[in-house]
Amino acid sequence: MPLEAAHVETQAQEGLKELANWITLVSEKWHGTPWADFLHHWENVFFAWVIALGLVALALIGTRGKKNVPGPFQNFLEAVVEGLVGFVSDVLGERGKKYIPFIGTLFLYILCQNLIGIVPGMKSPTSSLNTTAALAVTVFFYVQWPGLRENGLLGYIDHLMGNPRDLIGWLMVPLNLPLHILEEFIKPLSLSLRLFGNILGEDSLIATFVGLGIAALSFAHLPFGLPLQFPFMLLALLTGTIQAVVFALLSTIYLSLMLPHEEHSH
Amino acid sequence: MDFHTALSWTLPLAVPIAAFGSALGLARAVSAAMEAMGRQPEAAGRIQTGMIIGCAFIEALTIYALLTVLILQGKIA
Repeated sequence: MPLEAAHVETQAQEGLKELANWITLVSEKWHGTPWADFLHHWENVFFAWVIALGLVALALIGTRGKKNVPGPFQNFLEAVVEGLVGFVSDVLGERGKKYIPFIGTLFLYILCQNLIGIVPGMKSPTSSLNTTAALAVTVFFYVQWPGLRENGLLGYIDHLMGNPRDLIGWLMVPLNLPLHILEEFIKPLSLSLRLFGNILGEDSLIATFVGLGIAALSFAHLPFGLPLQFPFMLLALLTGTIQAVVFALLSTIYLSLMLPHEEHSH
Repeated sequence: MDFHTALSWTLPLAVPIAAFGSALGLARAVSAAMEAMGRQPEAAGRIQTGMIIGCAFIEALTIYALLTVLILQGKIA
């Protein structure tokens, strides 16, 4: 099986422990069948889709029977949306209204992706660089487009040259232009690597302590181990949330850096 | 000394050194933010936002070191 060989290779390259999820179990049971190998190979994409569909279903159910006096479920969703609106408006102000749906979706999606790794049998899709790189590339294009549209092409190039207005500014252009272009490409790189590294580190920490907990009780031949990973799962709750906040917040700030600065001139 | 030996000596040191630098940076950032919050409690929200962004940038440096270690760890496994 070429797929399997490739997977074993990547595992050896990464040299990291990850907790088994239920796709691992399925692919162990039906080892060698094409569909099980396919599922195992694309497990991150699978979990990402599960979360995306879950969020879509939640939103559809939540918006179906809207009432003026909300029930507990609608109340909860409204609180979440209001929180996100406040979150984006704090940075972007009034002009950030149209970016709230994207940033909010990004935040909820990444939050669920980070936290699902704590649920037994599930895996964080964000512990794979492919997922986080996809998200970061999306943010990259989403930030460039308003920059082009609201500044115009000349304004965009002016922004990349560091808004030269006097002689010194124009003399600095050969230095500023490559730096700014480079910076635009480093942003998605650092966004994706930060999320990936944090979540992978936290997941492999949990997996290592699960292994230690099992090893600690191995003399008794019990079907379970000591739950040594428990404090680290609480830590994972914290870091998963913080990383989702950081990703969404940095995307918002990249947007605010790219948009015209007329509000800051006072 | 072949590269296996060299890596097995240096890899466990790489993250602590980076983490130490990050710790110094975080200590300065957080203490300054806390002082600012104590002086101006009404601006606490904005200060906290700025602090979290700064912390994320500082943290990222340790994460880069960690990623380098993870990638190189595969070479000696």
